[in-house]
Amino acid sequence: MIIGIGMSDPFLVGVITLCMLLGLIFIGVRVVFAAAVVGLLGLVELRGWGPAAGIVGTIPHSKSSTYALSVLPMFIFIGFLAFHAGMTQQLFDAARKWLGWLPGGLAVATVFATAGFAAVSGASTATAAVFSRVAIPEMLKHGYDRRMAAGVVASAGTLATLIPPSAILVIYAIIVEQSVGKLLLAGFLPGIFSAVVYAGIIVVWAMMKPGSAPSVKGFTWGERVRTLPGISPIILVVVIIMSAIYGGWATPTEAGALGAFVVFVLALVRGTPLKSIKNSLMESAKLTVMIFSLIWGVLIFVRFLGFSGIPGAFTEWIVGLDMQPMTIMICILLGYAVLGMFMDAIGMLLLTLPVVYPAVIALGFDPIWFGIIAVKMAEICLITPPIGLNCFVVNGVRPDIPLGQVFRGVALFFIADVITIAALLMFPEIVTWLPNFDFEAWWSGLWAAAL
Amino acid sequence: MEHDIEAERSLLARLHRGFMPIEDFANLAAAAAIMLLMVLGVLQIVLRTVFNTPINGYIDLVELSMASMAFLGAAYTQRLGSHIRMELLVSRLSGRALWLLEAIGAAIAMFVIAVLIYHSYGHFLRAYTLGDTTIDAEYVTWPSKLLVPIAFSIWWIRLALQCIGALRLVLFPDATPIAVVVAKDVAEQAQDEIHEVMGDDAEPARPEGKS
Repeated sequence: MIIGIGMSDPFLVGVITLCMLLGLIFIGVRVVFAAAVVGLLGLVELRGWGPAAGIVGTIPHSKSSTYALSVLPMFIFIGFLAFHAGMTQQLFDAARKWLGWLPGGLAVATVFATAGFAAVSGASTATAAVFSRVAIPEMLKHGYDRRMAAGVVASAGTLATLIPPSAILVIYAIIVEQSVGKLLLAGFLPGIFSAVVYAGIIVVWAMMKPGSAPSVKGFTWGERVRTLPGISPIILVVVIIMSAIYGGWATPTEAGALGAFVVFVLALVRGTPLKSIKNSLMESAKLTVMIFSLIWGVLIFVRFLGFSGIPGAFTEWIVGLDMQPMTIMICILLGYAVLGMFMDAIGMLLLTLPVVYPAVIALGFDPIWFGIIAVKMAEICLITPPIGLNCFVVNGVRPDIPLGQVFRGVALFFIADVITIAALLMFPEIVTWLPNFDFEAWWSGLWAAAL
Repeated sequence: MEHDIEAERSLLARLHRGFMPIEDFANLAAAAAIMLLMVLGVLQIVLRTVFNTPINGYIDLVELSMASMAFLGAAYTQRLGSHIRMELLVSRLSGRALWLLEAIGAAIAMFVIAVLIYHSYGHFLRAYTLGDTTIDAEYVTWPSKLLVPIAFSIWWIRLALQCIGALRLVLFPDATPIAVVVAKDVAEQAQDEIHEVMGDDAEPARPEGKS
């Protein structure tokens, strides 16, 4: 015991440690250390030094060496390799030829090229960086409004976290003990839906302001079809991962390994320098260790939290509130929007879920649905002030477009995101339909009908 | 500058530089493990679906190898300042106040990692003396468990260097920063992200309003 409360009032110990945790995080202690030290001290207070330190000592290894988590390095590696394999130019070229005829066609093409790239990458800011180079020059050449050109790139980057393979959805699944496969499937439709809403709002805007986002016409069908081989590796990776999850012919880790292998071979064929491949491996290792540290750090804290009874008390309090569950949900989401301004999405989810998640489930919300909507909320913070990292990334690649213009360009897409969130709240089926879809029954039904 | 040259030659700077290859090597080992995990996954699919002979104890093998990916790069990531934290307060501070917070942060980290080194070593020692194996393929578990105290010891040394580096700047705020992570604002973080994916070919562009 440290402060002498011990087991007589675990709840009070919980409240004190929770305040300590928030204080440490506020003064800039890295989340892994803040969570681990507070969890350790809390356990010591409740259980005494020997047992507490003994429990804590086993957590990093035992929680990290689980098969379900092994999909993370694979997805991360696919993402970094994909940037070096340089598929973005082909994707944008294909999207431009297929969709350029629409009002605001190049901006619409950027949205779908980014969504396509998101299928091999789970990193929002990195996607924005790459497309700043590929898409913005093309749009400016065709006389697009600079704010539109910069805004669409910054915003479309956020699609990466919903469209599989997404590391953040895997982490969510593991923390709340849901199926990784279901979460990955669940992100797919909302990701596409977000892209369609973006595209819709671009078309409407371009029709209202003709001249500031002209369409690009005159491509023949032959030219369009010839763009397909260039983007086929991406389609292959999507088919591998989605079909493995649906059909069960491989685990997510194996599917991720095969997907990484496809991109790896592609990178070699394209003559990517070995130095770049080594760099993407080193970056993957760095991001992997960062995520794993967060996971075990937070799990040390969660181990203590379980003893303290805080999650149960919070759930009781939330359920006892005299408010509609939907009103509470909107408050929680607004809370995430504020938190997301100051903290990385992964850190924010890991820290809050142990307390928030049981309450959300007790209110009767679907666990998969909540994961998707929380991640979407966190992503919006990448394009809103005060931080809006994606906007800074676009401005960093294109210093000729001032930051103010990027943020103004993003405003349109912020409206689109509000529409998306509202749609996901009103029609949760957008999220839950695909993961609950009984593919085998549908397939055998189709066969029966055909025969 | 004379000042800089002197700083470059100091003991702390030499320790900082001398320790870098060890961290780089550990992270490279983690990177190699990721590569192996990819190869193993592809092999498993091919062997199982084409030859109907899956790798014996594949899941055990993956689980044991996770330790290398999860821990070996910890010090490297620490040196680059890539472990997540909230930048709200530290990005607004400078001088003594900033370095004091950095030193406190590093000291807290050193405490908790020290506890983890001691007890994860105990976790390893139990597995070693009992001859603990995985359930399915009966691979010994101690080499995987030993990676935790090893990786954490490297991490602890890096944290100690950062702590000393920060304390030095608390005493002499005008000195050249050595062995500390210089806190970055959003624009600089954005530049890091760009370099991460584009490597050295990214044009050295400075964001607006920064010199």
